[in-house]
Amino acid sequence: MFNERKFFLPFIKQNTTNSQKQLLPKLSTVFRFMLYKTNVKSLLVTAAIVSWVLLLGNVLLMAESARQPGAIKLALPYINNLLIIVFILSVFFFQRFSANNLKGIDFSSYLWNLFSKAAIAAYLSIALYFAYKLSTGYARLQSPLLLHIVYQVNFGLLVYFLAKAFYIWRQLLLYHKNKFLQVAWEWFELLLFSTLILTLLNFNYTNYIFLPLFGLFGCYILFLCTNLKWVAYLSFNKKSRSLVLLGAILVSCYIFTKFFQEFADSEQLVIDYSDVGFLALAMLFVGTYTLAAFLVSLFSLPTSSVFEQKSEDLLNFQRLSQSIQQGQNESQVYNTLFESTIKASDATAAWFEMVRGNNTHVSHLLNINNDQIERIRHLLMAYNIQNIDYINNNLDRNTGFRDLSLPWKSLIILPIKSKKHVFGTLYLLRDIEQGFDRETVNVLRTFTSQTILTIENLRLVAESLQNERYKEELKIATQVQESLIPKTFPTDSWFEIATHAVAAKEVGGDFYDFLQLSESRIAIIIGDVSGKGISAAFHMAQMKGIFHGLMQQDMPPSEFMKQANSALSRCLEKTSFITSSLYIIDYRMQGFMFARAGHCHTLYYNAMMEDVFYFQTDGLGLGIVRDKSYNNHVREMYYDYNPGDVMVIYTDGIVEARNAANDEYGEDRLKYMLTQTYHLEAEDIKCAIINDLEDFTGPDNLYDDQTLLVIKFKPVQPKA
Amino acid sequence: MKITQDIKDSTVIMTLDGELDASSSVILDEELSDPEIMKYSKILVDCRNLNYISSAGLGVFISHLQRFEDAQIKLIFFNMQDKVRNVFEILGLDLLMTIVTNYEEAITIADE
Repeated sequence: MFNERKFFLPFIKQNTTNSQKQLLPKLSTVFRFMLYKTNVKSLLVTAAIVSWVLLLGNVLLMAESARQPGAIKLALPYINNLLIIVFILSVFFFQRFSANNLKGIDFSSYLWNLFSKAAIAAYLSIALYFAYKLSTGYARLQSPLLLHIVYQVNFGLLVYFLAKAFYIWRQLLLYHKNKFLQVAWEWFELLLFSTLILTLLNFNYTNYIFLPLFGLFGCYILFLCTNLKWVAYLSFNKKSRSLVLLGAILVSCYIFTKFFQEFADSEQLVIDYSDVGFLALAMLFVGTYTLAAFLVSLFSLPTSSVFEQKSEDLLNFQRLSQSIQQGQNESQVYNTLFESTIKASDATAAWFEMVRGNNTHVSHLLNINNDQIERIRHLLMAYNIQNIDYINNNLDRNTGFRDLSLPWKSLIILPIKSKKHVFGTLYLLRDIEQGFDRETVNVLRTFTSQTILTIENLRLVAESLQNERYKEELKIATQVQESLIPKTFPTDSWFEIATHAVAAKEVGGDFYDFLQLSESRIAIIIGDVSGKGISAAFHMAQMKGIFHGLMQQDMPPSEFMKQANSALSRCLEKTSFITSSLYIIDYRMQGFMFARAGHCHTLYYNAMMEDVFYFQTDGLGLGIVRDKSYNNHVREMYYDYNPGDVMVIYTDGIVEARNAANDEYGEDRLKYMLTQTYHLEAEDIKCAIINDLEDFTGPDNLYDDQTLLVIKFKPVQPKA
Repeated sequence: MKITQDIKDSTVIMTLDGELDASSSVILDEELSDPEIMKYSKILVDCRNLNYISSAGLGVFISHLQRFEDAQIKLIFFNMQDKVRNVFEILGLDLLMTIVTNYEEAITIADE
């Protein structure tokens, strides 16, 4: 009972530490189950003790009355039989419940459990009997009562032993069971218990009528005893330990059988338990199964090393294939490979060469020195057989190897390489001829291919981590670039400005910026670096620097372009160039000055003339001509604006955006859009153009960076 | 993008077919970087089937412009589609490079 509590307590404790409320109903079932189980078990123990004591009392009474022929026969044989059955059933059912607690695949602990708790009873009983013999022999007196007590105690021990053995054997017998075996066992148990009826009705089971039936039953037992799958799972050491335990249990069986045979039909005793057929059959089963297990263990002892090797190989395969999940690195994988292949092939010496770039170095060594490795490698190089699969099972036959006078006779070379990479080479040596048979080589090759797979996967994982890092850095680049582009322009009452900018990739080459030159003057620049991505983004940042650097000196737009071209000539790649337009708006003069350097033409709406047009001015892109001759290629223009005029500044990503039919959005459509929207606010004009552009290209069809600025001059002039 | 070269005496007629974008401009750069091409005095680029030119494609021509000029090799574009010509013009390259309407004109200018 205490064992029961111990078994349940940790379980309950664990549960209560979790969310208690949820588990309350569950817990109560567990408690109820436990109470039920404890109740039944204590009931069974009580029944066993009471029946045994009553039986003892009755037997003693019978013995006493038999000794005094005159006495009245108080005891009845039927009561004895009933008590025997009650005792047997309660002990067996108690063990039936207890045996369920045995779990796991440590089979030798089952055997130890059986021996230490039950089989020892046989030795106890024999000791008890000899003690009785000695004491009566010494005192030279006959004591039938004492003999009855000894006999009765031994009966109790026998039943306990049989019950324990019976149910432990059931656990083992049903290991890896199938449906058929389960049913067969249940029938066996039922049949066995039904033989108790014979005892109850006082039939003699040795009767000729029952003999064929018992013969059949014996065959049934023999069939059941062939289920010994658990033996295969014992290692060599465990098997030998199990053999000792099984032997001891067999001796127990023998002692009990001998003891009760000795007293069968004895004149000295009033009761004869050898008449109970159930016990004989149970003993037959326990004895046969023990014997079968003993013999099977004994004869499978020589082959157990093979099974051990196989299961170890399997375990090592698992270790290799799971090494990624376990977060191992390459060198740990090679460690596993080296150890497992040596074990699998039983190699006497081995080394592993790791390939790093163009260098190879010996990373693992076993029973071999660098000098020997060097000599073997020289020879292999002479034969031109490094880094290929090579097996030599008789090194002595080869003159080259014989001259090296190595202590080994077999060699296998296993390259660890994929189609693309050579990771390393494994060399295994054995001191016997024909050391690497086909079976072993297959296992070794499986190991190497698993290793290759694992290493490649490890590298893939590392690569994807690296890519992840690059993505993170690109995100930072995007943020940095976004911070380079002004989000807000100075709001003033004389003009309004709306902006739109998207990059096709994480970073782009479009940019725009402004600088307040004086109270009434502002410089606005737009630009586009040729190409896309990182290099464009760098040049864009450079251009921003040039803009802020040069415009501090407040120069006219054409002068800015000349100086910017000169600056960029020194740092721009040969194939790169930048297009740009710079506008300096002066609201006190109500006009703007601008220069275009290869950038898209400025779209303009003149409110006075109610006309939409492009400024057609010449101007060469920056970085195309990298000498003074550029100065001839840039023009400056001055224009007086009217209130209500609209200026649309953009990059080629807008006009060269394409639809599914590969048509370009074009300058004409942009111009048309402005004729439809010039009366709107700057922000609304911008939105109208962008919406129209998106309608044209369709969603997710962004191939180039797009930037659009809409500036609208307002009629209200600020007070100077 | 398909680039074919037709050689007549001291003239290379280079025909561009398709779109000159970032990836195809690498091929063009290889063709123009070939030292063999410096043996000829005239390079005529037929742009009849050039449907699109990206900034990368323009960059390739720009990068070789100075080299050809120094070697006194004439680079002449002809049969250019309007939208491609517009790209050249916006960038200001029409003032820097020789762009003519047809082959005959190109031959005449080349022989000057």
